[in-house]
Amino acid sequence: MSVEARLTRDASEPEDAAIFSAFTLTATFWLLLATAVGLLLSFKFPYPDLATSPFLSFGRLRAIHTNDTFYGWASIALVGTAIYVAARTSGVAIVGKRLAWLSLLCFNVAAVAGTIALDLGFNDGDQEYREWLLPIKLIFLLAVALAGTTIVRTVAARADREIYISNWYTIGAFICTLILSLVAVVPWYQIGLGQVAVQGFFMHNAVGMWFTLLALGVTYYALPKTLNRPIYSYALGVLGFWTNLIFYPIIGAHHFEFSPLPWWFQTLAIVFSVGMLVPVWSGSANFFLTMRGHWETIRRSYSLPFIVVGVAYYFLGSTQGTVEAFRSLQTIWHFTNYTIGHSHATMYGFITFIAWGVIYALLPRATGKQPNALFTGLHFWLATIGVTFYVLSLSVAGTLQGMTWAQGDPFIASVDAAAPYWAGRAVAGTLMFLGHIVFAYNVWLMTLGGSREGGNYETTVRKAVAP
Amino acid sequence: MNRGMNNVWALVAAITLIYGTLAIAMGTIPGIVLSNTPPTPGKLPYSEAAQRGRAIYVSEGCEYCHTQNVRPLKQDAVFGRASVAGDYAYDTPELLGDHRNGPDLTNIGNRQSSAVWQYIHLYDPRAVVHDSIMPQYPWLFEVKTKADPGDITVALPPGFAPHGGVVVATQGAQDLVRYLSELKQVPLGKAATP
Repeated sequence: MSVEARLTRDASEPEDAAIFSAFTLTATFWLLLATAVGLLLSFKFPYPDLATSPFLSFGRLRAIHTNDTFYGWASIALVGTAIYVAARTSGVAIVGKRLAWLSLLCFNVAAVAGTIALDLGFNDGDQEYREWLLPIKLIFLLAVALAGTTIVRTVAARADREIYISNWYTIGAFICTLILSLVAVVPWYQIGLGQVAVQGFFMHNAVGMWFTLLALGVTYYALPKTLNRPIYSYALGVLGFWTNLIFYPIIGAHHFEFSPLPWWFQTLAIVFSVGMLVPVWSGSANFFLTMRGHWETIRRSYSLPFIVVGVAYYFLGSTQGTVEAFRSLQTIWHFTNYTIGHSHATMYGFITFIAWGVIYALLPRATGKQPNALFTGLHFWLATIGVTFYVLSLSVAGTLQGMTWAQGDPFIASVDAAAPYWAGRAVAGTLMFLGHIVFAYNVWLMTLGGSREGGNYETTVRKAVAP
Repeated sequence: MNRGMNNVWALVAAITLIYGTLAIAMGTIPGIVLSNTPPTPGKLPYSEAAQRGRAIYVSEGCEYCHTQNVRPLKQDAVFGRASVAGDYAYDTPELLGDHRNGPDLTNIGNRQSSAVWQYIHLYDPRAVVHDSIMPQYPWLFEVKTKADPGDITVALPPGFAPHGGVVVATQGAQDLVRYLSELKQVPLGKAATP
């Protein structure tokens, strides 16, 4: 594609911008709802009698918090960016815009129906991160299939001969998620311990193949685009892709160590959990080496600080995951809040921060509307301090729980040991939630509100040629 | 190095083949094999009432704070013998759980066999365990001016009972307590000590 053609291409189609905006707006609604619920849950630890009601009880809200965060906020936000990135990297407008709109509708219908059903107590078996009833799950999977079709068709219609690495990751995310969901939704081989094996497989692959691949994929576009230089190593990206694809499905059993799952099955999961260092370290290194020598640009950018923290938490959170898989550490950390610290280091520190960074990087380009600089900084620091404090609080709480059990103290002693850190977590959660409100205002500025200002320093970067 | 991979359909096919095989190998096949695990000798299915109680345990999300999985570790011995595969033959949906904000319940039927205690604890956990962070479940109970014959009244200690009323267990509370009472580990044969 000639340089001129690419430059004119830079001003994206109005409807592409509308699709990207709509995905981001609805995702932000779910972020606010899901984390408001999360905040209430965190206050129920120090104040167990708070909001005693069947519709606000911990047991029902916990599933709402996880499912709305996974399938409301993170899925819709990342799919919106993935569709936009597919169009931009292929040098074409989104192909099949109707499917993209239909996909957005299905995502939101599933999230609304799922939330109401869970609040009424209709839970599909307390299987973590797949508690929605079967028909609601199928609506969600339809949304995934529609969005996946949109991306594959857009990439197939690309101008260049080469498929940019972002689209490997995002296409991989859609295909693997449809496969893993089919495996997880079939009931006849999920009886008793059989369901335990499938639950381990599902829980880990949902995060590993859906969120991780989508987040890494869109970062492979947003990072070089904002830094105005190509990715450090294309080959490292391909290595990360295939090793992630091969190792992840094998390690689900590390969620059930010391359970009656076959011992060798658990050992296999532990060995490949160590193997996960290959995609994690190659991916993180690839991004950090791309950033090397450009810290000045990062310091002055809206989006890059979020991507830096996102990649840092990808590296820390996933390496933490590998370490957690060893049996010696499982004896202390399994069943404790240490795992909750890990899940927030990854789903929040990595996945959510990358989604924010990519949205701040690409949405202003699509709509021509800038976020408020002061609020972006406020959002960044509230969320960064919040999640770091959150992860530290629960890592300490979890270690104390595990050690208290190991010493043979009465069970209630582990509750007392963790209690002060649960209060700390509620404070951290408040910071995080305040950051989300600021982010929501910025999203409004970048889409519906705000004014279409003239050039600013970010648009001068825009004239650069995408890799 | 990636000449072949520039065809989007080749990429789609490669991912589907590789990941599909691994998903079947690590998800479907373990599911099929382990779903046929025979029950531990002597293990009986749950009674009707207990099954209704288990459904309440699921819909109220008790699994998010309570595990049902005694590990072959020193620190788990307080909860019972190590769980074995056959213990879960009648447990669908599985409730092994991932979090012990509350104690493990695999063997709670033996460890806390008093239904009176269970009713009080469900109504207000802090009536029996001062530092407990478990939520109250008043919606599983009714407050009546006077208990009818055949009602199960909850013997709440002073200060925890609502003013001028008697707390009575609903059918839901009775089913749940029945389920908890049936969470009992079957002792293993002489040979297989934990």
